[in-house]
Amino acid sequence: MTSNELLTVTSKIGSMLISYGAEIYRAEESVNRIAAAYGFEKIEVFAIPACLIITIDGENGLPITRQVRITKRETNLDRVDKINNLSRFICSEKPSFSTITAHINKIQNRKTYGFPTILASYIIVGATFALFFGGGWRESVAAGAIAAVIKPIEMAVAKVKPSVFFSGLICSMSAAAIAVLIAEAGLTDGFDKVIIGSLMTLVPGVTLTNCMRDFIAGDFIAGLYTMIEALLTAVGMAVGAASAIALLTNIFGG
Amino acid sequence: MDYLNELVLPALYSFIASIAFGIQFNIRFRHIIAAAVGGIISQVIFNAAEFSGSSEMLCYFLAACSISIYAEILARRLHVPVNMYLVVAIIPLVPGSMIYNAMITLLSGDNSGFAEQCALTFGVAGSIAMGVFAVSSAARILTAALSGIKKAVK
Repeated sequence: MTSNELLTVTSKIGSMLISYGAEIYRAEESVNRIAAAYGFEKIEVFAIPACLIITIDGENGLPITRQVRITKRETNLDRVDKINNLSRFICSEKPSFSTITAHINKIQNRKTYGFPTILASYIIVGATFALFFGGGWRESVAAGAIAAVIKPIEMAVAKVKPSVFFSGLICSMSAAAIAVLIAEAGLTDGFDKVIIGSLMTLVPGVTLTNCMRDFIAGDFIAGLYTMIEALLTAVGMAVGAASAIALLTNIFGG
Repeated sequence: MDYLNELVLPALYSFIASIAFGIQFNIRFRHIIAAAVGGIISQVIFNAAEFSGSSEMLCYFLAACSISIYAEILARRLHVPVNMYLVVAIIPLVPGSMIYNAMITLLSGDNSGFAEQCALTFGVAGSIAMGVFAVSSAARILTAALSGIKKAVK
């Protein structure tokens, strides 16, 4: 394997790990191990959730660098697991460049759950959390229905590539508005449980966990990055729900 | 103590919600069930701690510890990333109702109530993080020590 090929493989694997929701140290460690397996001892990796930089010494002694900007992040823990296995396989077997690329393509084409399944999972999350936080069955049905509306809204908002603050704001504003309207129509007993339940679908679970694990591993910049992301999402959701509630309860004279 | 409403149902809801969250994160089915069992564990530990009269923050801390231990053990056994089990099980612990209450008290113009709710929310979030911190750090030290012993034996 030439230094150029190694750089291609490691940057691909590292950036895939980060964009699918792995911790930063996992990406850095995978790159380091793969390079070591092929005898490239001198390698420098630096990663944050938005960017990955790898530098190694090339054949002629000159350093070569590749930087990957990671803009699109989607959670897919199944692929993180498979890439993790792949990098373990690379370290033990040292396969050729074309074999690795074939494996990477196979992982990228692994099928994900379809839209109906994801939608069903949103409905279940909304409905069960409404019960979990002390609602009755009517609140649970309402929260499930709102969660089913949130998903298409979330997808539509994602098209304009908003900040996490803005997308949280829009989603929770519409969810809260619908919940207040349903409660005003007398179908549910208050809107508190309905709103909490349906908004639990938007909790950034991977961001929160990665934030903690990045701090533990000593990647403080990455930890701060994810922490700010989680805080902005939470504040956006709170502002959105608050404005919808304030507006509508004033109209209805709540 | 009302066993059904205070122990069984929360654990069941948390289990079902964890399965649904596993689907959102694209975890394969056999891992989803294992991860969702973490959701049950966290609720059982949480309610047991609450029943024994622990403070709210200690309850959250112990629950976070229990799922971290579960996730670390399972991940090492099955050679999968710890995240896969931790992410799913931690969501039912997220204090959604506290954040909501904080927002509602702010809306009603009760500033001191808002400050109180915020302090409570951050306290709970901090204790969950501390639970994960404590276990993960211990696990790192333990694995390093174990691999050191293995090398020494060889």
